[in-house]
Amino acid sequence: MANNFEEEIRQLISNITEVPIEKLTLDADFFNDLNIDSLKAIEIVAAFEKKYRIIIPEQDIPKIRNLRKIIEYTVFPK
Amino acid sequence: MITGLGVIAPNGIGKEDFWSALKEGRSGIKPVTRFDTSAFKCKLAGEIDDFQPTLFLGHKGLRDHERTARLLCSAAKLAIEDAKLKIDHDNTDDIGVCTGTTWSALWNIAQFGKELIEDGPLFTNASLFPAMVINAASSQVSIRFNIQGFNTTISTGYSSSIDALKYAIDFIRIGRIKAVLVGAVDSLSLSNFLGFYRLGFFAGINGPEVSCPFDKRRNGIILGEGAAVIIVEDEEYAKERKANIYAEVKDIGNCFDAYKMGRYEPGAKGLKESIKMAIRNSELNIADIDYIGASANSVPEQDRLETKAIKDVFGKYAYNIPVSSIKSMIGETFSAGGLFQIAASIGSMYCGFIPPTINYQEKDDDCDLDYVANKSRITRINNVLINNYGPGGSNASLVLSKYN
Repeated sequence: MANNFEEEIRQLISNITEVPIEKLTLDADFFNDLNIDSLKAIEIVAAFEKKYRIIIPEQDIPKIRNLRKIIEYTVFPK
Repeated sequence: MITGLGVIAPNGIGKEDFWSALKEGRSGIKPVTRFDTSAFKCKLAGEIDDFQPTLFLGHKGLRDHERTARLLCSAAKLAIEDAKLKIDHDNTDDIGVCTGTTWSALWNIAQFGKELIEDGPLFTNASLFPAMVINAASSQVSIRFNIQGFNTTISTGYSSSIDALKYAIDFIRIGRIKAVLVGAVDSLSLSNFLGFYRLGFFAGINGPEVSCPFDKRRNGIILGEGAAVIIVEDEEYAKERKANIYAEVKDIGNCFDAYKMGRYEPGAKGLKESIKMAIRNSELNIADIDYIGASANSVPEQDRLETKAIKDVFGKYAYNIPVSSIKSMIGETFSAGGLFQIAASIGSMYCGFIPPTINYQEKDDDCDLDYVANKSRITRINNVLINNYGPGGSNASLVLSKYN
């Protein structure tokens, strides 16, 4: 279950950022490693919210800097 | 001076393709494939169904480009290559971009609205928003080719192309810029197709669905799309870099009718004024004009009034000048019309032909000039008058001369 979810999100981010799936490791930092700008980050959050029908509060967004953080956030929402 | 040209048209991609299509009288109008027209009486448009932006622009970054931006950037690439214009940090501040487009990213705007209604405000994708501004397409050209002079979007409807060109040459004349990418674009989408259809402006609602300017059967437009970009340079700059010069923009006249929204001024006063201004300021005589590229688009009033304006300005001499409308082959491309007419005229000058008004079958007493019916004419062309106008009220005319 978790694996599928991880693949789904990886695909979603890959589509939006045009970064190949192989480069989207769990710990690759969006801003520092993958060169994703803030506008793209907003797009990722928006696509994520739409697909899984959850709202990510604004104050939490800066904490989500890599794929691992997104998965942790969704699996263990606070 | 015009030193480069890029064309993405319904009947040809690239200038050579476009010119040979015009010479053969080949139409780019066909059944729409992009969206479902089964609910409408009208099925045709000048759609560019074989346009592949990745061929011109690569894959990366295209995701954020809406169709209008893709068309314009592709045409810009062709024009820059055609002009052999090298853009680097030495000259980037001396080059500008001026684009005529009126609908621009209309489809994005419609998409945004649709998501807002279907998914609610919290789930509407914010990233659609930056690409919704009217100057999105023009900006993408500057970003992609790293052009740091001015960037402007002119959205005056039917006369956008020539108005954009005027803006550019005014800047060049006062010495504020050395070269400008003057482009124009409008793309086909369900939004503008539906809009014109509901206004009853299309051919096929009250008559045959055909683009037949000046013909008695004409009953409305067939919508087209596309982009064309020309490189316009200061003469000295062009000579300095040994550019190949196609033509000289002699002068442009433009004015606004201030009559009624969406109605033709009954005396075509604005168009006449524009034509007179353009010829007078070009320091040419009416006898010097070899060909008139008309704005006629198969709307009964439009074609009749353009004929009237030409006759009022040229007098009896009007009957000696060939007049034709390429909209018979590409449809009404709205903001891009004028740039396509310019591109066609350059083809006329260098390939020695006048493009025909195709689909001409029945003569109308109100339209009795020489419209180069159905077959192109082989002849030498030096000076062309190009008209751009429509029921919005904006009028513009341009005199273009072959460069010697």
